[in-house]
Amino acid sequence: MERRTFIKLSGATALASTLAVPARAQSATTVRWWYHFDNPQATPADLVAKFEAANPDIKIKAESIPWGGGNDYYTRLFAALIAGNGPDCAMVKLNNQARLLEMQALAPIDDMVAKWDARSDIPDNIWTLTKATDGKQYYLPLQYAVIYLYYRPDLFKAAGVEPPKTFEEFRTAAKALTKDGVFGFGMRGGAGGVDNWGPFVLGGGANFNKGGMVSDAALAANRTYVGFATEGKVVPPSAPTDGFQQIVANFKAGRTAMCIHHVGSANDIVATLGDNVSAVPVPRSADGKGWTLFGDESSAVFSASKNADAAFKWISFLSTAENNAAFVNLTGQLSVTNAGAKLDTSHPARFVEASVASLPIAGVLPDSPKTADFTGKVWPTNMQQALLGQITPDAMMQAFEALFNG
Amino acid sequence: MQFAMTSARRHLLPYWFLAPALLIELAIILYPVLQTAWMSLHDYVLFRPNNAPFIALGNFIRAANDPVFWLSLGNSLIWIVGIIAVQFVLGLGTALLLNQSFWWRGVARALVVIPWALPSVIIGLMWTWMYDYNLGVINDVLLRIGLIHEPIAWLARPDTTLPSIMLALVWQGFPFFAVTILAGLQTVSRELLEAAEIDGATRFQRLRLVVLPSIAQVLATVLLLRTIWVANSLDVILVMTGGGPGYASYTLPLYAFLEAYSSMQFGYGAALSLILTVLLLFVVYAYVRRAAAAEIAK
Amino acid sequence: MIERRSRLTRILTVELPILVIVAFAIAPYVWMVLTSIKPDADITVFPVRYLPQQVTFGHYQVLLEQTSFLGNLLNSLVIALGAVALGLFASIPAAYAFSRFRFRGRQVLMTQFLVINLFPVVLLIIPLFVMMRSLGLLDTHLGIILGHATFAIPFSVWMLTSYMSGIPPELDEAAMMDGATRLQAIVLVILPLLMPGVVTTGIYIFVTSWNEYLFAMMLSGDAVRTVTVALQLFIGEFTVQWGLLTAGGTLVALPVTILFLIVQRRLVGGLTAGAVKS
Repeated sequence: MERRTFIKLSGATALASTLAVPARAQSATTVRWWYHFDNPQATPADLVAKFEAANPDIKIKAESIPWGGGNDYYTRLFAALIAGNGPDCAMVKLNNQARLLEMQALAPIDDMVAKWDARSDIPDNIWTLTKATDGKQYYLPLQYAVIYLYYRPDLFKAAGVEPPKTFEEFRTAAKALTKDGVFGFGMRGGAGGVDNWGPFVLGGGANFNKGGMVSDAALAANRTYVGFATEGKVVPPSAPTDGFQQIVANFKAGRTAMCIHHVGSANDIVATLGDNVSAVPVPRSADGKGWTLFGDESSAVFSASKNADAAFKWISFLSTAENNAAFVNLTGQLSVTNAGAKLDTSHPARFVEASVASLPIAGVLPDSPKTADFTGKVWPTNMQQALLGQITPDAMMQAFEALFNG
Repeated sequence: MQFAMTSARRHLLPYWFLAPALLIELAIILYPVLQTAWMSLHDYVLFRPNNAPFIALGNFIRAANDPVFWLSLGNSLIWIVGIIAVQFVLGLGTALLLNQSFWWRGVARALVVIPWALPSVIIGLMWTWMYDYNLGVINDVLLRIGLIHEPIAWLARPDTTLPSIMLALVWQGFPFFAVTILAGLQTVSRELLEAAEIDGATRFQRLRLVVLPSIAQVLATVLLLRTIWVANSLDVILVMTGGGPGYASYTLPLYAFLEAYSSMQFGYGAALSLILTVLLLFVVYAYVRRAAAAEIAK
Repeated sequence: MIERRSRLTRILTVELPILVIVAFAIAPYVWMVLTSIKPDADITVFPVRYLPQQVTFGHYQVLLEQTSFLGNLLNSLVIALGAVALGLFASIPAAYAFSRFRFRGRQVLMTQFLVINLFPVVLLIIPLFVMMRSLGLLDTHLGIILGHATFAIPFSVWMLTSYMSGIPPELDEAAMMDGATRLQAIVLVILPLLMPGVVTTGIYIFVTSWNEYLFAMMLSGDAVRTVTVALQLFIGEFTVQWGLLTAGGTLVALPVTILFLIVQRRLVGGLTAGAVKS
């Protein structure tokens, strides 16, 4: 009864395809690589050409997969892996590492990394953040973006406030900025809003350890955050279902004075606002403690790949200095390599500075199979109910506690 | 109107006519349906494909005790009845009007089809954009004409969210009703209509006594097919709110989808889908019974 | 005698209501078209700017020159037409069987067409993916055509059956008594009368295929990417390309609308008038 699944059939087809393949496998190794770029005009063709010129025995088959809020990309990936038709390597995020690992879909790359010259160009803390719970390295860092606070200098000047450094300053500023139909803060309560909530609540004392969501500090921080909407009314009433499109659009249109996002949207906002936008790290508690989300993106080689070495050659090529700089130029994020970061000129300096200044407090969500469900479903439904007053802020935190430690 | 079956070959004839459709259906869809139905009896988690224990009706018992399931079921009911009723009335009215002759009829017919010609992704995004609190055209128009005094967060209030999404779906789907009913209207006998007119029947009487009975079967079929389609549709909700705020726009297929792909509880998602299927089966059964009765009455 | 209504009555009872309905139908589309010809800076402004300050076709230019959109349109067209051909090829004979014969298992078979399609497609997608992989149909036109036809056939069979049942069987019976073969009776007598139904069903299959996303997304790679999947690529993780998206949406609706403008002439009343005495 146990192994009734799709696996059986895919086993048979995998066998069939191995029988069929040898005829053309002789000449060059083909590496299938999946990626997702925000800009449909951006194409990795130049990088592929450069790589193939240097490695004539390897062909890269790059496939662009729709992101679809993350759902489409991962549904497609999991389906392909289950069917035995997955790519050799792909762009992946940490919130799915635990699931892929539990599926035994990932190939460890420790040995290959050890022999890779350019590994030391990636900072140690990024290697640490991307290490799996079993101590092995499966993810090769590719790019990053740290969540920070965007603000409108003109509106701040008019309200006579400075960009906030602490939670208290943030609260005061948001209140002062809220007038005449403009709201101080464009809170993101819809999908992906964890990155708005995290700096205030995880930075305010909550954590994912047992009891970490229901400690006094955690509950108080969450009450304050939910209170921005329910009591202070410094966020638009549409906050419960606002996603990044809405918060960025409202910010660009001058309907909100602050919003929380990262360098990935910087060029888009600058295109509309020009110099009238800047960024600072997210606010922290008075004692200097804080938290912000390290928005990660890595490459992984899949365990089913028969071309693991060639695949690693390609993904390590992408994470090397000038190639990495060219890559982040296509995606709008930041280079994980020191050399690449120096070469990258695709963002106005103030946003890179705000990102780098945020790194000391940047963290990731737990490396658990539950994390993707937390960000995708459990967090939004509970947060939205709390924003609407259907449940108390404390009940929301109890639901998170139950999910991770119940 | 029975054909005389003179030989065994004759007897097999209808099956030959059915063969292409049946073969394609069975080849492509039967196996996935059976497999998904079978998965609903397992604790199948997508990222644990090798450890999916058989739990018999465990997923169904879990559903019965799951408040979100009942909530989604209730929303689904509002969703189906509300959308179908409005689409039907609007579609029937449109079809009757488009069946009249006026000089720009061809253009009107083509323009009405536009909403139906757009992919759901575009529809979801455009309507979300139009409903936007600050930058949406709907709030702007209502404010300008003075119907409201401050903007409404259409997609963030538990009382307006589901109706707002339903309006987008009505918009998307009413052309389908209009087109199919319009085609059905072409089979209405002109002689009967003229006879009724000579007998002094009013326009409304002609509609009720001649037109509607003639297209009754088309209406019933379209209603049934559309009910199934609307009951299963989730892409517009997914784009517009993802089910929120809270559970305000959770419908059964959306819940099944989120369970299967966000939580990766594929077994539970399959069970939720199967429950929806069984509930729809009752609708189909009622319809088939009605159709059979009508046939005997002939 | 057909009653002659005055021009005014007709404007009030027909043209005005239709105008309202048409306005409702196209308002969001018009808004999309307007958005597509605005410069990016005009799209997210407060207060809402209805008419573009300056009209630009830049989004269309980028869309057609720098993305694969035209190729995607072609893929969608091939797939939708393929699905219509396959769908009608399978559905018309099936509808003929259901409407003209009474045979063992008729009810069961008819019902099964519906039952098989009650199940939400989203949950079938992974088993389908596995199956298409084993048939070697991933990333082929045929694979998606088969999938789209499969989802359209049950509805098509039902729709065609109900249209065909509206055509009096006496007509084709008479033709066959006069010496026509069954095939001749179908092609020469039934099909011409069935045309409005065939057109409607054809459009139904076309639109279903044209707008389908999930199946096309899962089963197609770069080689046969359809237009719905291409549009989804404009909705990135951190930016939505509103200009490209609305330009693409504007273009996507055109083929179906033009197609309907052409075939709607077939939806003309009175085809069966006088053909049979009821």
